[in-house]
Amino acid sequence: MPDRKRIAGDLGLAALVVVAMSVAHGVYSNELLLFNFVMFLTLSQGLNLIYGFTGYLPFGYVGFFGAGAYGFALAVMHLHSPPLLALAIAGLAALVLAVILAPLLRLSGAYFAIASLAAAQALYEVIANPDLQDLTKGPYGVSLSGVFAPRLSYFVAVAIMAVTFALVVWLRNSRFGLSLQAIREDPVSAAMAGVSVVRGRMVAWLLSSVIAGLSGGVFAWHISVFYPDTVFDVTFSIFATVFTLFGGATTLTGPLLGVFFLYGVYNAIGITVPQYFQLIYGALIMGLVLFLPNGLVSLLTRRGFRVP
Amino acid sequence: MFRRALLGLAALLPLGIGVARAAPPAPAELKIGTLYASSGPFASISMPVYDALKIWINEKNAEGGVFVKPYNKKIPIKLISYDDQSSTATAATLYNQLITQDKVDLLIADSGSVLTSVAVPIAKEHKMFLFDVSGTGGTFFTKDNPYIGLMADPVSTIWPKYIADFLDDIGVKNGIKKVAILYSTNDFTGTQAAAVRGFIKKAGKLDIVYDQGVPTSTSNYTVLLNNIAAHNPDAVLELGYVGNDIAFLRNLQDSGDKFRFVFTIYGGTEMDELLKNVGAAAMQGTFSYVPAALYDYKPNFGPTLEQFRAAWDKAYPKGSGVEWGANAVYGYMTGLVLERTLATTASMDQMAIHNAVFGLSGKLNTLDGPFALNAEGAQVGEITPLGQLQMQGKDLKLVAVYPPKFAKGKADLGK
Repeated sequence: MPDRKRIAGDLGLAALVVVAMSVAHGVYSNELLLFNFVMFLTLSQGLNLIYGFTGYLPFGYVGFFGAGAYGFALAVMHLHSPPLLALAIAGLAALVLAVILAPLLRLSGAYFAIASLAAAQALYEVIANPDLQDLTKGPYGVSLSGVFAPRLSYFVAVAIMAVTFALVVWLRNSRFGLSLQAIREDPVSAAMAGVSVVRGRMVAWLLSSVIAGLSGGVFAWHISVFYPDTVFDVTFSIFATVFTLFGGATTLTGPLLGVFFLYGVYNAIGITVPQYFQLIYGALIMGLVLFLPNGLVSLLTRRGFRVP
Repeated sequence: MFRRALLGLAALLPLGIGVARAAPPAPAELKIGTLYASSGPFASISMPVYDALKIWINEKNAEGGVFVKPYNKKIPIKLISYDDQSSTATAATLYNQLITQDKVDLLIADSGSVLTSVAVPIAKEHKMFLFDVSGTGGTFFTKDNPYIGLMADPVSTIWPKYIADFLDDIGVKNGIKKVAILYSTNDFTGTQAAAVRGFIKKAGKLDIVYDQGVPTSTSNYTVLLNNIAAHNPDAVLELGYVGNDIAFLRNLQDSGDKFRFVFTIYGGTEMDELLKNVGAAAMQGTFSYVPAALYDYKPNFGPTLEQFRAAWDKAYPKGSGVEWGANAVYGYMTGLVLERTLATTASMDQMAIHNAVFGLSGKLNTLDGPFALNAEGAQVGEITPLGQLQMQGKDLKLVAVYPPKFAKGKADLGK
């Protein structure tokens, strides 16, 4: 029986961030900066689902994001779908891609990470192929100005973030989440204890991909003009990974800390003095890997505190 | 009594008119916001624009500011700029920053289509007129968006007109029959490839024997050149960005392949940059566009090319690492359009700014040539004559060879 107090605490933290990001929209007018925060909060938690709970680190996570962005764009351009339906198609596009790429789960460690990156690159090359210009607009980019609605798309992004947080809280406090962590620690022992390793990994993989696909879709909706390079930019993968690792995976708090601190630093100094930013960013990450390999939250967890 | 009241009223009238017509209180400074890319793939086209814009701003501030008609006085300019590092995601956030936080009076996009693309919907959403320096993407200019005007580059579909006309005219007369087109698959060069393909097919005089798009990141053309040579074309059009042209010309020289007509975009457009990286021997005899940086137009506003070049060399002497080229002219020219806009706009409302910019269309001639916009804000006034890089003494010069009314020399197509 899960501890209701713990769940309430986890949900309370999630709700606090959701409310803060909703209220911030009315207070701070750089909507796109807030949107990027929401997007990275969602992406980091999406990556947390697969990396934090199963140990699979997909460097090519951006592939699902790009698939979602183009799923949204194709639905709007060719099916004239309303944005919310197009968003569902974005999630579906990422889900289909995840099913196609499911055999990659047979790999592990660096092999899986690199294979997923190669898959994302292959998808980018297909979408950016000039011969597919009639379908995807090839490398020349898409314009979705007809459905451009920054305010609505912002709040839809917040809703997706809320659902993602709820998923992480569920995994943190459910038997299924525990079974995933058991798989991460020792798949053979987990299988011998009756845990369905394949099913568990597959569910986490699909959930994680759908979150990235929905994020890609709502990103496409929010910016409305983009090129394949924009939505398949590996920076999305790198940022989501670094934010998750920095704060601490397998927790709700870790990726939140990572995004608010590192993306905050990025926007505070990365824009005005990018050279110093890279130096500081590099030093921070090196220090973390050397002294806090389990992220900032490990400062508390190794002293016996439970972190949401 | 009535007469006295009338006289009193008459005495007050000029004062009243004076009050009604008084300029609104002028701000202490006029905020102009822009982005630049100091690193990444677009740095080579972005930094010259930014550096040239700073020259214009420094000149105006040295004169006490730029004249702003709604305030009927000169106002010093404050430039607010951020480095987007060639990232569209960063650029999008920063455009928002300029509009919503810095509350700039005028917004100038970063250079090129990719970094401009994200600014288009943001500017439209915030009803802010976007001074688009060189973002020529066809999707930017639509009837439902009055908040954009293309300053310096003609739309991509106009650029290659004279290449096709030259090949169909002079080329055919000199025995050129087969053409190869190799292009980088991005908005700017891909659109030019589509346009030149269309022109050549429409004329029906030449045979396109090779037509291949390659990623913009391509940095080795050896295999592609072998493939092209296997089709035995007379003319090879390589349409890419600066990095592509450098790699292509280097590989072409190393391969030993000879074609009677070789075209690159940046051989002329960013001649200094290519000379530094490729050398005169590899560029000699190739064709390119003649940019305003190398063609002396007769401006009716602002300095001549020679005068601007002198100002540029003073601000950025040789060895400073800042290269002269077409993008430098684009940046300065954007400043000139701003200056005329501010001198003629009825108010600082963004639709009034739009009206003032469009009011310059067809009337303004700068060192960058004629300025004319179509109804959607795309630049259609500028022209891109065809030139050939020819040795004159010890120096390599870009000589305009087509169309005849702009020609300063004769093309040498070899044998």
